[in-house]
Amino acid sequence: MSTSDEESGTARVPATGAESPAASAADRPPVPPPRPRGGKLRTAVRGFGEVLITLGLVLLLFVVYELYVTNWKSGRLQREASAQLEQEWRSAPQGERKLHVDPADGQAFARMYIPTFGVDWSFTVQEGVGPDALEVGPGHYKNTAMPGQPGNVGIAGHRVGKGAPFNDLDLLNSCDPVVVETGDSFYVYRVLPMRDEVDGWADSKGGQQQCANVAPLQDKQGAYDETFGRRIVLPDRGDAVAPVPYKARNPLPKASQASLLTLTTCHPQFSDAERMIIHGVLTNQYKKAEGTGYDDLLAAIGEA
Amino acid sequence: MYGWIWRHLPGPVALRVVEALVLVAAVVALLMFVVFPWVEPMLPFNDVSVQ
Repeated sequence: MSTSDEESGTARVPATGAESPAASAADRPPVPPPRPRGGKLRTAVRGFGEVLITLGLVLLLFVVYELYVTNWKSGRLQREASAQLEQEWRSAPQGERKLHVDPADGQAFARMYIPTFGVDWSFTVQEGVGPDALEVGPGHYKNTAMPGQPGNVGIAGHRVGKGAPFNDLDLLNSCDPVVVETGDSFYVYRVLPMRDEVDGWADSKGGQQQCANVAPLQDKQGAYDETFGRRIVLPDRGDAVAPVPYKARNPLPKASQASLLTLTTCHPQFSDAERMIIHGVLTNQYKKAEGTGYDDLLAAIGEA
Repeated sequence: MYGWIWRHLPGPVALRVVEALVLVAAVVALLMFVVFPWVEPMLPFNDVSVQ
């Protein structure tokens, strides 16, 4: 009894003593360490580190913005432009449909398809290559030819973000079709032979059915000596979309110019140090008939 | 910086967590809708046209 009394008594001593700060400090290590006084340097270093981490997160967020968020907005703009163009074409009476000779800035006036990228790959083409037009989709260089005309139809498009219509432009091979639809016609352009395919074209790829109307341009006209299916040039080569590509001073009268299509985008991907240029030549054109559409065209050109 | 913000958020911990999340969302929205669209044209990787 007496021992148990003593034990409980001794046990009670620390319990009551826990109230005093001295006993608690002895019992357990200082769990909340006292804030270091005068740690200005410490605060500064920690603040600097936090700023760096924050900047890193902001940069990551910017990548997310570029690669995804811009696509959402461009996707919405593209759907609106597409619906509007569709309605415009539908509302114009058959026979009166014709290409706007001068579409307004930023106005969608044509639609382009690249079957190589899938049957659902289609974008409206806007007039102009300013940021606003290119946010909607590919943009047509003003003062270049209109689809189907002799000369050079220049079209620029984003490769990264903003819907990235020209993301896979590097995957186009010679003879791959690029279709441009206007109010009354489908124009089928095909990518020209690459530089290393020009020699012996007729005996190699030129014999294939899809290449029926594709031949190296330089065979017929010396002025096209620099025009190949794909080229990588510096950004200041504005003459890539000249009527005769890379000839700033047009050497040919309009009547003897080939009907070309030129696509431009940034290169390498994620950089704008250079431009990738794809040149195609008009091989077929089909008047749009009531009740026929892109699916029928694909069948007609053997891409369905 | 983050410690300072945390200490200056009013209310109990649960409320502070909500407040912190709202702050983060506000900063992200500001970046996404104001700062990034403004800064983007000045950055050298989205020019696709030849001049």
